[in-house]
Amino acid sequence: MFRLILVRTICLLGVVPRLFSAEIPDRPEKLTFPESRYEPPVPAEYRVPLQAGPIAYLVPDTELPLVNVQVLVRCGSYLEPVGRAGLADFTGHLLVRGGTANRSPEELEERLAFLAAGLTSGIGDEQGTVNLNLLSKDLTEGLQLLREVLTSPRFETNRLNLYRQQIIQGMQQRNDDSADIEAREQALLSYGPDFWSNHFTTLKSVESITPEDLRDFHRKWFHPTNFVVAVNGDFDRTKMIAALETVFGNWPFSGTVPPPIPTNTVLAKPGVYVVNKEVNQGRVSVLLPGVKRNDPDFIAIQVMNDILGGGGFTSRIMNRVRSDEGLAYGASSQFPGGVNFAKPFEAAFQSKSRTVTYASSIILDEINRISSTPVSNEELQTAKRSFIDTFPEHFNTKGKVATTFARDEFTGRYAQTPDFWRTWRGKVEAVTAEDVKRVAAKHLHPDEAIILIVGQQDEITKGHPDHPVKLAQLASGKVTELPLRDPLTLEPLPSTPPAAPAK
Amino acid sequence: MWGWLAVLALSAPFATAQQIPIVERQLPNGFKLLLVERRGEPRISGGWVARVGSANERPGITGIAHLFEHMMFKGTPTLGTKDAKRDQELIAEQERVRDLMRQEEVILRSRLRRGETDDITAPESKTDRYRELEADFKKLLDEQRSLMVKNEFDRVYTLAGASGMNAFTTEDMTGYFINVPANKLELWAWMESERLLRPVFREFYSERDVVFEERRMRIESRPTGKFQEQFTAMFWDAHPYNWPVIGWPSDIPAISKAQADEFYRLYYQPQNITLILVGDFQTAEAEAVVTRYFGRIPAGQQPPPEVTTLEIPSYAEKRFNAEAETNPEVEIQWRTVAFQHRDGYALEVLQQLLNGRTGRLYKGLVRGREIATEVYANQDSRKWAGAFGIGAEVKDGHTPAEVETALYAELEKLRTEPIPPEELQKVKNQFAAGEYRKLSANFPIFVGILQNEGLGDWHEINDGGQKIQAVTTAEVQRVVGKYLTRENRAVATYTRKASAPAADQDPDLAGLAPDQLPAIRRVLSVIQAEKDLGKLKANLAAMEAQSANADPKRQQFQKILKKKVAERIATLDQKK
Repeated sequence: MFRLILVRTICLLGVVPRLFSAEIPDRPEKLTFPESRYEPPVPAEYRVPLQAGPIAYLVPDTELPLVNVQVLVRCGSYLEPVGRAGLADFTGHLLVRGGTANRSPEELEERLAFLAAGLTSGIGDEQGTVNLNLLSKDLTEGLQLLREVLTSPRFETNRLNLYRQQIIQGMQQRNDDSADIEAREQALLSYGPDFWSNHFTTLKSVESITPEDLRDFHRKWFHPTNFVVAVNGDFDRTKMIAALETVFGNWPFSGTVPPPIPTNTVLAKPGVYVVNKEVNQGRVSVLLPGVKRNDPDFIAIQVMNDILGGGGFTSRIMNRVRSDEGLAYGASSQFPGGVNFAKPFEAAFQSKSRTVTYASSIILDEINRISSTPVSNEELQTAKRSFIDTFPEHFNTKGKVATTFARDEFTGRYAQTPDFWRTWRGKVEAVTAEDVKRVAAKHLHPDEAIILIVGQQDEITKGHPDHPVKLAQLASGKVTELPLRDPLTLEPLPSTPPAAPAK
Repeated sequence: MWGWLAVLALSAPFATAQQIPIVERQLPNGFKLLLVERRGEPRISGGWVARVGSANERPGITGIAHLFEHMMFKGTPTLGTKDAKRDQELIAEQERVRDLMRQEEVILRSRLRRGETDDITAPESKTDRYRELEADFKKLLDEQRSLMVKNEFDRVYTLAGASGMNAFTTEDMTGYFINVPANKLELWAWMESERLLRPVFREFYSERDVVFEERRMRIESRPTGKFQEQFTAMFWDAHPYNWPVIGWPSDIPAISKAQADEFYRLYYQPQNITLILVGDFQTAEAEAVVTRYFGRIPAGQQPPPEVTTLEIPSYAEKRFNAEAETNPEVEIQWRTVAFQHRDGYALEVLQQLLNGRTGRLYKGLVRGREIATEVYANQDSRKWAGAFGIGAEVKDGHTPAEVETALYAELEKLRTEPIPPEELQKVKNQFAAGEYRKLSANFPIFVGILQNEGLGDWHEINDGGQKIQAVTTAEVQRVVGKYLTRENRAVATYTRKASAPAADQDPDLAGLAPDQLPAIRRVLSVIQAEKDLGKLKANLAAMEAQSANADPKRQQFQKILKKKVAERIATLDQKK
């Protein structure tokens, strides 16, 4: 009964707003908006060269009673000695998990857990990172623990052995997921099997790693002269500077400045490369030679790529492969721009086996089209606005302000272009349709395409009767069958794979 | 000052410092509106949650809630086409052709039942009539496309500097969201109210194909995806949680636009939707804009139906033994409680006692007994029912059975031995600090409100913390004893599937035509995975009986199958 009355009342009320709904325009372009101005934070206002060595970026913010401290470390897997693949990762992982001179791993973990503090560490290809996140009331103790793990990590053997076992079991799954196979083979095609970043871990390499190796690696690179620091949260700037001088002062050992990162990458020969894997959806990546991010064309390249495949639902690849044809859930391209060496352009999608070749041909069509025909003004404006008007998101938390500037310091961008963020929007605004066509023609060469396909080779080769496209038509080179690799040695497997060796 | 509040928060029942200042308003037509003013970034996270998910579906249209979510991005009469009238006509004509195609699909399914085809999705299986209709449909679609403005809904937002437009569907809810510049609040209201008022489901059938690719990507092509889906289906008896959110493979391609229209009418009425804004705006202004735009949407004629099916009690343990391309694993699930159930807080504390590097499972199984490499625990309190799960990856040289036994031992210890007070406090400290961490930016605050509201009550985001702080040791022990019982559990064990020899290399397959190879490979993988000896023997006997009548083209096929089944039986016999 009550409900009936209520419904009737709502219906009556429903009429009232309709009286002025005539004011609501039929198209969104007819709306007008208040003006909006935004200026990015200026790095120099936060930058503090510590006497102890590191450059620090300090961004105070009292909204929440939390503090975040991030230490970037100049090191990476490129510094691993031959045959020791995994050493950098092991060192990074175990830095905060293997105890310190004063505390067993258990004591350290229990104390951090009780404080609900996060203390994590890792070393990737070109950067090490140690991160402390805790309640500001615990800051003094937290910084003491941070100094302990940075200066005197214990790398306890049982923790090393546990991590080794976890890594080996992870390696055993290397051929289980077609996405993992794709990522590995893509790296090999992109940079060549001899490039340092493709010295993957093997059973042999991880079994050779000793606690001594970790200590050596740590002592060599974990030194304040190799650190950049980002701090944000609930603290007083002056007190924090003093605290950081204590954390990074009087370092108990001297470190080494790392050599430059090697850049001798070798891109594979053009062609189609297929890994046979029994899954009902093929994974495809189309690779083309890339650029470094300091390339003078890089901003125009980003606008171009946004229109081609980087801009989600407003991009051409998404529109054709997904919305027009229903051939894939995700279809996109990226032109990443490497910091130290060129990273390839990549367009990628996943489609059922029988439509893999057809969808690949659409991607190649679009690459050709953007190199030969000017983009529309609407496309150009959409891409430019999406970069310019979302710009505040780069700095939408104080944590992002601190870590973005610290990362710029780390990669040398701050030294090269201190006004990078202040001038960036103007450079995007200046890109023209002619620029887009020019950089596409200059940087996207479909005849150099490397097409990697992981999936059911027979079904993919069969193609679709409505859209007959042959594998060999896709690229200028030949079709090469890539073998699966033994998960523990990464040696090519014969086409009849033996069962995974029991350990 | 913060320091003091934090100390209070950690040592005593919760201080109110981290309460999110949510303002609630009700629109006359039924919409609920939740607003959180927040400065610091000149943007707004905005969106809405419809209280509908896969649990509201029924067999035959599983996956429709999620497919519908995709369709909400296809535009309106004015967004997405240059000629709204012709667009509507073409959609109607397309439906007429699709109805005829559905009649052909009836024929295909009957062929499958009679064994005349193995795969009705293969392009070769289509009937001639189906192909003709497909061509007719394509003509209509081509004409519609010539009038379309592709993905205009997205383009308008992107041009306006919006970002992160997306949506998600779960068993319980469907959420839609985007971040817009602070000065574009009215654009958000225009766009969202337009698509709720008059959505147009263009490209319905190609979007269905997209969703099927999403199914392949998320479930079918993942090493354990299909198994997890099946385990879930086994876990729930009566409740609609037993089917996947993305839908069964035969349902997705069978859903019609008419069914989507009906779904919209039932579940996308204002009474079933909450609008949420978090960011840089004035509450009064935002309320006025939202009222003006969303107020024009008529209230529904009748309230959306509730999910009335209640899960039946579990009377016996369930076991699921999978051979998959994965390391050995164990997963155990118990039926527990729904969102805001009074026992849910103790179960969350239990989860946290078990989890993490200093949690009971890692200390007990990974470091102590050294029989596992990874462990986890999780209380999943959904809207209508809940589950508690624990699991582990087995260390080389050990077995799932050993790990399973050890997991139960940890739970038994928790149930029977006092929990040290500092251990309980540690866990509560983590929850308390987590209360702050989730407030770091507009978007995570927005998502937190949306999820709680989708589960049934946004207040939980502010109230839940205090209830967790009040949980006692005795309550944790009680919920272990009450819910984590043998008859209430389902256990999945995974062992690594021995790699099958590549079919091309198998001399037994030499006599087959190339187009028979994929089919036989599929069947062989089923045989390899089959562990039921009785079933295999029955199959073999049935094949023996039939082989005399088989047509010549299939004789070779049959012969190989018989050989392989016999081999599999021999292997299993040996293992015994």
